[in-house]
Amino acid sequence: MRPWHWLIVLWLSAALSPRAVAAQDPRLQRRLDSATVAALDAVIDSARAVGLPAEPLVQRALEGAAKRAAPARIVAAVRLLADELGIARTALGPASAPAELVAAASALRAGVRPTDLTRLRRRRGVGLTVSLAAVTDLVTSGVPPDSAAAAVLALAALARDDQIVDFRRAVERDIALGAPPAAAAAIRVNAALRDVTPGPSRRP
Amino acid sequence: MFERDDDVLERVVERLRAPIEMDPTLDARVMVRVARTSRGLDWLARGWEWLRRPRDLAITPLAAAGAVAVLAGLAVWLGSRAAAPATRPGTDTTVVQFILVAPSAASVSVVGDFNDWDATTTPMRPVRSGGIWSVTIPLPAGRHRYAFLVDGSRWLADPSAPRAPDDFGTPSSIVTVGG
Repeated sequence: MRPWHWLIVLWLSAALSPRAVAAQDPRLQRRLDSATVAALDAVIDSARAVGLPAEPLVQRALEGAAKRAAPARIVAAVRLLADELGIARTALGPASAPAELVAAASALRAGVRPTDLTRLRRRRGVGLTVSLAAVTDLVTSGVPPDSAAAAVLALAALARDDQIVDFRRAVERDIALGAPPAAAAAIRVNAALRDVTPGPSRRP
Repeated sequence: MFERDDDVLERVVERLRAPIEMDPTLDARVMVRVARTSRGLDWLARGWEWLRRPRDLAITPLAAAGAVAVLAGLAVWLGSRAAAPATRPGTDTTVVQFILVAPSAASVSVVGDFNDWDATTTPMRPVRSGGIWSVTIPLPAGRHRYAFLVDGSRWLADPSAPRAPDDFGTPSSIVTVGG
């Protein structure tokens, strides 16, 4: 066997080793120990294999590293997010953008049902990030998940993104002033619907 | 004074009927150029024939393994490129201002998924007396998690933004950029 044959064999074994095929993220390698990186790689590779975006998972791990969380807690958080992204993708459809999946995963964590995500996709079509974020933020403000989802669903077909953001801000303002969260959402969604609904009865 | 039309016409016809003297080397030059074009076509035809001709290729298993290794390396390299964030800085971004009131802080930075959670990337600056810290950065569309890091050790949520679910025992906030 000639010397360059040995070089090929060595390069082949390096290129096809499981670690190389896993395509480790250098950002994780720089900030976490090798055992944690290996555990995270398994989760991230599994997610990538089924078509889920890897970047949100890497970012969650980096957040844990920045906050000096325990390795087991970081791996658990990344695994939980991967599960939520998978449920979100099933609810929203395989063509969903990564930003939509991240927003939907947050909505699921807040308590919104997957069926509501599917209804939102059907009613609004593409570009769901702001609508999903509005649902999540309303729930965070105290609006029950079902009420928050119903309110944004009511606006979804007609309102622009900026109108949905205005609606969410108005509800949060009312809650800060002492209004019951569910009532604030119901009153504000009716007002918002009057603003966005085209019709002969509306005056300029 | 004007000439008659017939006189003008006759002179034009006479000029047009005058014999034209050709360069005696023209034929030779044309034939040389034609021969050159033919040789070019021959080369192309032979190349095409060489590509189409079936042949037996002898290759050692080791060389085949090397070729597979090159392809595998290429696939891994392309895969790692695809895993990089799709949004490039400077495209489809919205400028967002972060503000924190922290009168007793010596340093504040905003840390989040837009800077790989690196505390050194986006330091905030005191904008006026009263401990107001601020920074303005472009963000791509999406829902971003972030927090303020005060004096390099204390994590604070943004009081003016929605809270993020807490995975690590420290507060984080959310900013949503339309898209």
